[in-house]
Amino acid sequence: MKRLILVMLLALFSMAYLNTVLAGGAPPPKDLLTGRFTQVDSRNRTAVFTKEGNKESQVLVLSVSMTEDNIPINKKVMVTLDKETGGNVIKDISIMFMDMTLQKIIALMVIGLVGGLLSGFIGSGGAFVLTPAMMSLGAPGAVAVASNMCHKFPKAMVGAYKRYKYGQVDLKLALVMAATAIIGVQMGVQVQKNILENWGNAGSNLYVSVVFVFVLIIVGGFVSYDAYKLLKNRHIEGGQKVPKMAESLMKLEIPPMMEFKVAKVRISAWVTIPIGLATGMLAATIAVGGFIGVPGMIYVVGASAVVASATELGIAFIMGAWGSIQWGLSGLIDIRLTLLILSTSLIGVQLGALGTTYVKDYMIKVVMAATMLVVAVSRGAKIPGYLSDIGWQDALDANLVFLLNNISFWALVAALSIAGMIITVAMIKGIVAHRVVGDS
Amino acid sequence: MQNNVSPGNKKRPVLLTLIFGAISISAYLLLFMNEEWVMNNFTKGNWYAVYPIVTAFFFSFVHGVFASYFISTLGLEEKK
Repeated sequence: MKRLILVMLLALFSMAYLNTVLAGGAPPPKDLLTGRFTQVDSRNRTAVFTKEGNKESQVLVLSVSMTEDNIPINKKVMVTLDKETGGNVIKDISIMFMDMTLQKIIALMVIGLVGGLLSGFIGSGGAFVLTPAMMSLGAPGAVAVASNMCHKFPKAMVGAYKRYKYGQVDLKLALVMAATAIIGVQMGVQVQKNILENWGNAGSNLYVSVVFVFVLIIVGGFVSYDAYKLLKNRHIEGGQKVPKMAESLMKLEIPPMMEFKVAKVRISAWVTIPIGLATGMLAATIAVGGFIGVPGMIYVVGASAVVASATELGIAFIMGAWGSIQWGLSGLIDIRLTLLILSTSLIGVQLGALGTTYVKDYMIKVVMAATMLVVAVSRGAKIPGYLSDIGWQDALDANLVFLLNNISFWALVAALSIAGMIITVAMIKGIVAHRVVGDS
Repeated sequence: MQNNVSPGNKKRPVLLTLIFGAISISAYLLLFMNEEWVMNNFTKGNWYAVYPIVTAFFFSFVHGVFASYFISTLGLEEKK
């Protein structure tokens, strides 16, 4: 246990150092002003704005479509300025920290529980639904991402600890993957920046959704095919087979060779590096690196699904802690959101981890495939809207927009419910079978 | 974390669940009753980033231990 904590802390600090070396690609947006409005002058259409941590005030101009009622006085806000009109014209204002209501608290706790369950079982999950859920409850995008990140690392830490105790985490693989993934994140951020500069916000949304759907369908399709084959042959004895691709990659003797004891794999570092980079790039793009990381560790590196999903929790801890420090420096974490989700996700993640000890390896693949494919539908439904935002397609009919948004939302709900149900049923079956054997 | 007992006939950690549950609930109440101060100070950025990070660590420990005992109290243990 001491060794685990030591290694994780060491990794954490080295990542923070690495990030300062690679500075420039930190995730929090830098062109945002955060602070409070103290006065509004309706005659001159200006407002006095005091930046956070700075006593000096500046005068900002209201945009044409704004009235003085749009300026919240003495509330912490994020302001985007319209760069095209000189730099001090307000483009957009969002209140950073929403007021909590009982409904919001319950909603956050329910999503936290299922997100945690999924995370404990397949190694990742939750982020793809938690961030949009927080946004629909009223949190601005950046605050939702920051608060989700800050909830991810303690959850992953608790999950990784549990699964380490079950002997499922390959620490060395987690460290190697996390180190390369952090570099991948920097690359992903650079790609995002270029797209944002050239095609604006609409282009960025479109890119994120297309990558989401493309990766989820290809990887999710592959995992489901494999899970289907295993499901069909589940009664045949003979244990877990190493996937063919991983088997031939293991034969490559390109130094440096690395040995991963828990995963029972000896493979060239040149095979793990691209998987780590891709995990990081995906994490920077769609916030769920695990959708590449876990299948990558299974099919390319050759780890079992149990070890891959457990190791992913270690990677998520390192990357989540590193990301949280970045977001914390910008003051965007809403700790109330973080802690409300944690209140149930810490229970869920341990239940999910426990569940993996009762199910066969292929069940993890079944849950992962089901989740990925349904989430792909949810994101796919957003693409037509983004295509018209960017001007590559005519504006959509209002009814169609409403329908597509509904499909997107309910597909996410379905993804979580399906995954939650499969895990619960598989776990109960496993526990009952185990007790029957134990009693007899 | 009662690991050395077989399922079905173990001693359930009810007292520990209650103790850690109480600490966890108190911590949640403390934070939400001082919501305004917390939100003002936790979101200043720079060195103030220590507040949310340390808080998240603290809750993950206390509430994580509670959750672990709670699951054991329900009689759920991993398969050996």
